[in-house]
Amino acid sequence: MSERAILLRGGRVIDPAQGLDALRDVLIERGCIAKIAERIDDAEAAGALELDVRGAVVAPGFIDPHVHLREPGQSHKETIASGCAAAVAGGFTAVAAMPNTQPAIDSPQIVREVIERARAAGLARVYPIGAITRRREGKELAPYGLLAQAGAVAFSDDGSTVDDARVLRRAALYARDLEAPFISHCEEAALRAGGVMNEGATSARLGIAGSPRLAEDVVVARDLLIAGDTGKRWHIAHLSTGRGLELVKWARSQGIRATCEVSPHHLVFTDRLFEGFTARGRVCPPLRVEDDIAALRAGVRDGSVDVLATDHAPHTAGDKAGPLSETAVGFTGLEIAVGAYAHALPDLPLERMVALLSTNVARLLDVPGGTLAIGSAADVTVLRDESWLVDPEAFQSMGRITPFAGMRLPRRAVATIVDGRVVYDALGGSPRVLRGSPDGRTGAATLG
Amino acid sequence: MPPRNLLDLDDLSAEELVALLDRAEAFHRDPSPRRALAGIPVVNLFFEPSTRTQTSFAIAEHRLGAEVVTIDPRESSMVKGESIADTAITLSAMGVGTVVVRHGESGFPYALARSFPGHVVNAGDGTHAHPTQALLDVMTLRQEFGRIAGLRVAIVGDVAHSRVARSNILGLRALGAEIVLVGPRTLLPDAMAQEGVRVERDLDEVLPTVNAVMLLRIQRERLDSALVPSVAAYAAQYQLNARRLERLRDGAVVMHPGPYNRGVELTDDVLAFSGCRYVNQVANGVFARMAVLEALCA
Repeated sequence: MSERAILLRGGRVIDPAQGLDALRDVLIERGCIAKIAERIDDAEAAGALELDVRGAVVAPGFIDPHVHLREPGQSHKETIASGCAAAVAGGFTAVAAMPNTQPAIDSPQIVREVIERARAAGLARVYPIGAITRRREGKELAPYGLLAQAGAVAFSDDGSTVDDARVLRRAALYARDLEAPFISHCEEAALRAGGVMNEGATSARLGIAGSPRLAEDVVVARDLLIAGDTGKRWHIAHLSTGRGLELVKWARSQGIRATCEVSPHHLVFTDRLFEGFTARGRVCPPLRVEDDIAALRAGVRDGSVDVLATDHAPHTAGDKAGPLSETAVGFTGLEIAVGAYAHALPDLPLERMVALLSTNVARLLDVPGGTLAIGSAADVTVLRDESWLVDPEAFQSMGRITPFAGMRLPRRAVATIVDGRVVYDALGGSPRVLRGSPDGRTGAATLG
Repeated sequence: MPPRNLLDLDDLSAEELVALLDRAEAFHRDPSPRRALAGIPVVNLFFEPSTRTQTSFAIAEHRLGAEVVTIDPRESSMVKGESIADTAITLSAMGVGTVVVRHGESGFPYALARSFPGHVVNAGDGTHAHPTQALLDVMTLRQEFGRIAGLRVAIVGDVAHSRVARSNILGLRALGAEIVLVGPRTLLPDAMAQEGVRVERDLDEVLPTVNAVMLLRIQRERLDSALVPSVAAYAAQYQLNARRLERLRDGAVVMHPGPYNRGVELTDDVLAFSGCRYVNQVANGVFARMAVLEALCA
């Protein structure tokens, strides 16, 4: 929490939770939203840091429900500190961190360690996601109650699918009464085996082993049925197929408590990215075809997709340099996300976009934020519609691999405020990430 | 201006393809040794074992006067565990201007070519491409029929996993042949159909309609991974044998990239068949590879 008040002057304030979309001044005091009004006069904001956000959008802080921060265990790819810097530079005030770390986030100690390191980084809020099974091996149940008590907001073996349906069903039953949802990474192991891209016309032409859409869809169907059977609240991660989305809609029509997310790369790129045998297209689930992109975009527009999620998965350049079958899976996503979503969905009303990136995510993970209501924590994202060039060398993330590299995107975050403190500022001059001590004081001083 | 690399036949225009075939024919007519690559080091880098292709390349390189260096990556500490880029840098620093590469991974030569300033010749990558094999196949067909345009060629068997089939599709289509792919759905997805390339399931119906049949090797591992029920079941539908040879029209030829499996995709009757061009293919391989190496490096 910052000592110094902040006045956001003249922005278009969009808060779907209050049905607000208007030009407003926003006053932040003692880490909270203190006042929103057409005009806040200077006397009221005496001593406040005033930020001119005319022409920009002021939104409740964006929350990414699906990132890989690589710590503990793989700090050569990303650290919690570098991942948090990437988050705030991308306009995210909070991220939920997947448990495929080394060791996996399968004990309350590791949950606390992740939270502690995030606090020390002093940038974005980090919500750990606990594993569904110990060591993410798909065999023994993780201690859900203890994980939740320590701060885990959801459970997932992301990166892997829990192959054994009996284990998954028992896990869901055991964790049934905890609010934290299960999040499924859906790829059936035998159908996926050896596949490094989508199975289809492109893989057939290139002679690359494919993983069919069926591999994803059968697990989406299975897990939704297990959700229905157990009553556990369930979230399907990074949907890549139109059929998968239809299954989620069907499940909801049956009263099953199911939500889903879509990632930027699945909204923009097809398996044609593999032409020329570059490794940059490799991700799980794989990039699909035009029909899937169209279906997923339609799902975002019509509200059947609940939240957007980057699946930020940083790797070193070396991880992506080998033969295709040995290359690392996934892309750096936090710093391109806001622009990529706008690129994919140029006609999506901003209010819907903010809901998908903030309001709905806070609800999904049952975490603070998602609104600019008076008295709520001052997590704020300021956006501007302006064209910019994606240059991975300028990323805060240690991961530099993204298929968006070299593209011009139409929107970006220009300021990020967490807990009443400016942690990212690109409003004037060159963009800066403002690291602070855990109590936030040095951060505020940096600005002074 | 010839292309820098031969990674697949779509690196070449139809004119360049014809020029290569003409040059290969010239070597065929006069197989005496040449000096086109005299003093030029050519490295053969075969990550996958291959007796026939590697030998064919080595003979072609010697006939052109090249300094032939063979690296077995499974033995060599230079290559083992190195990144593709590191290997490329090392070879380039030694003054190597040409690498002939075979790898089990589709696309490997493309990655090598991105880091290597010299010439890369793809001697087979995974299930993707085998351009010099396709070149010698096209050469063999042209010797037989005097043209490629208007020919109908059946490619039979495990098309999905065949680099030979993929490169032949490119080469034959570029020169105007029609292609009929034949095999079971597990080894030949519908997605392989494209303009000028049909997918059929019934070999008996296809045989009377084509000028040439290219058989593909069916590997043991396909039998073990639930793609085909058994050798007998596969042979009943897709094996070329005495009975099916009867269905071919007069003048039709049969080809196989080798090594073949007797009793699986073909029987001894096929090898004894007057229209079997297997031996011509092997012979043409040296000339086709000479033409490629000369065009790229000389």
